[in-house]
Amino acid sequence: MEYILEVFLDDYRLSKIKGSPVENQIEAVFGGELKVLRVKVGEELKNEILKAFETARIDSRACITDTPVAFKRALFEEIAKQKSLGEGVVKAVLARIEEIKELAAKESEYLPPPDIETD
Amino acid sequence: MSELYFKRPMPHGGKLVERVITDRKIARKFLESCTRTKCPVYDIKPTLHYKRGVPVRNVYREIMSVCYGFFSPVEGSMTSAELESVLSKRRLLSGWVFPYPILFDISKEDYKALGVSEGDRLIIRLKGKPFAILDIEEIYEIDPEELANRTFGSPETNPEVVREKFDDKHPGWVIYRSHNPIILAGKYTIINEPIFKPPFDRFWLPPRKCREVMEQKGWRTAIAHQTRNVPHVGHEFLMKNAAYTGDVEPCHGILVNAIIGVKRRGDYPDEAILEAHEAVHKAGYIKPERHMVTYTLWDMRYGNPLESLLHGIIRQNMGCTHHMFGRDHAAVGEYYDKFATQILWLKGIPSYGFDKPVNEVEGGLLIRPQNMREFWYCPVCKEMAYSENCNHSKEKEKLSGSLIRGLVAEGVQPPVVIMRPEVFKVVVKWWKKFGYPFVNEKYVQWKEEELEVDLPDLD
Repeated sequence: MEYILEVFLDDYRLSKIKGSPVENQIEAVFGGELKVLRVKVGEELKNEILKAFETARIDSRACITDTPVAFKRALFEEIAKQKSLGEGVVKAVLARIEEIKELAAKESEYLPPPDIETD
Repeated sequence: MSELYFKRPMPHGGKLVERVITDRKIARKFLESCTRTKCPVYDIKPTLHYKRGVPVRNVYREIMSVCYGFFSPVEGSMTSAELESVLSKRRLLSGWVFPYPILFDISKEDYKALGVSEGDRLIIRLKGKPFAILDIEEIYEIDPEELANRTFGSPETNPEVVREKFDDKHPGWVIYRSHNPIILAGKYTIINEPIFKPPFDRFWLPPRKCREVMEQKGWRTAIAHQTRNVPHVGHEFLMKNAAYTGDVEPCHGILVNAIIGVKRRGDYPDEAILEAHEAVHKAGYIKPERHMVTYTLWDMRYGNPLESLLHGIIRQNMGCTHHMFGRDHAAVGEYYDKFATQILWLKGIPSYGFDKPVNEVEGGLLIRPQNMREFWYCPVCKEMAYSENCNHSKEKEKLSGSLIRGLVAEGVQPPVVIMRPEVFKVVVKWWKKFGYPFVNEKYVQWKEEELEVDLPDLD
């Protein structure tokens, strides 16, 4: 079975892949409101990710979700570096697992809230 | 025409359990007589994860849900015979369906220190104040691992719906595995009504009160919506569309009943869940006259079909005529078939003691299931579509809580087709308060110290 890692793109991320081959692989979803890159992985890499992060899970769309933000950030960095959506980018991220876990531990305590007005 | 109307179902077991002394004078006298006769006193402690030592449950929530009638006809901590009956047949000794063990468990050390025996009355304290009493009928020992395994079953014993062996990644299994080995069985009575803190105070509606409110609102029919999540637009469409069932007209009301208690990391804080559902009607996506937000105190066991039984019981007790069930109801991971709950309510699951649907077995439920498939965003229809209507399954874009959590965590505001801006604002409101948008270790620790309630002075 194939599993998917989604990387959402904001303007900053879009600028980082502009002109690269992955730019053509951007998908617009939800009526064009969201732009996303999809990295597909097999059983073995899916298991490695689930093992590495306690919160990670598979959702109803076969997407690997609830991974730390640090993992998603590293995944995007590797995509931008390798200009690919192949399994190689995930392998490169998993090679940095200790560094990511360290960052993830910090981010499990605090994430900065967006600056929007609330009641 | 009136013959076609549905009647509000009786409480499960025929009568609402209400074991709360509300008259403070009587409660004080009660406590005084307990003190005079030197009743032993036990201070409630959170149940800690058997390996990691973090809170996974607080038995006070079960005492509240029993005594206010959410779990009717259960009246207290189960005896060994009742426990065996629940584990082997999912029936109480009275024959009424009930899915889970409800137990007052203490450690061997505490048992020794208390020196209690059968026939004793135990004063249970919460946050250092008298809270409830337990009239001990039986004391017995359990093996927590066996309890956990038998509670949920296995692929071998329940092949119809269980897909994976339960283990310590399953929060419900962990709760039972973390129970203490000594069980004090007997009826609970709350002698000191807790006071709910904001925002929990304005959503607290125990079954009797809930039935009264439904009458006042003229809700002949009401459909229950189970939640442990802040609502995305898919949930909103599930609520709206499931409510089209009813009798001669769509359901008059939608009763959102959130499960409040220890949750798994990555879920939203309880405070955000309640207020986010409220935001749906405050912002007019569903009329407030037809939409009511309430909750039940329970540390969720994530038992999919078993949990759906408990949900049916709770919401029947609250007065609902219908209960909506979707895919992966109250599930986590891939332990169960995705439609295990719907299989239980449509066909039955013989290995769990149901050779027929839950409404057709003796001692079964009266609340009607409204089994729903999925809602997705269809870019062709350009709307939120029901999977059994929309034929664009190739183009479909599925919503999931996890997708939204991913967006939120990365600081991306979910588009309006996914989450209403008013709901997102509530998420951010509590994010600012807790420094984190989801349940994390810090929140669990804080919450289990603070709880949802305070206790007034009684003595």
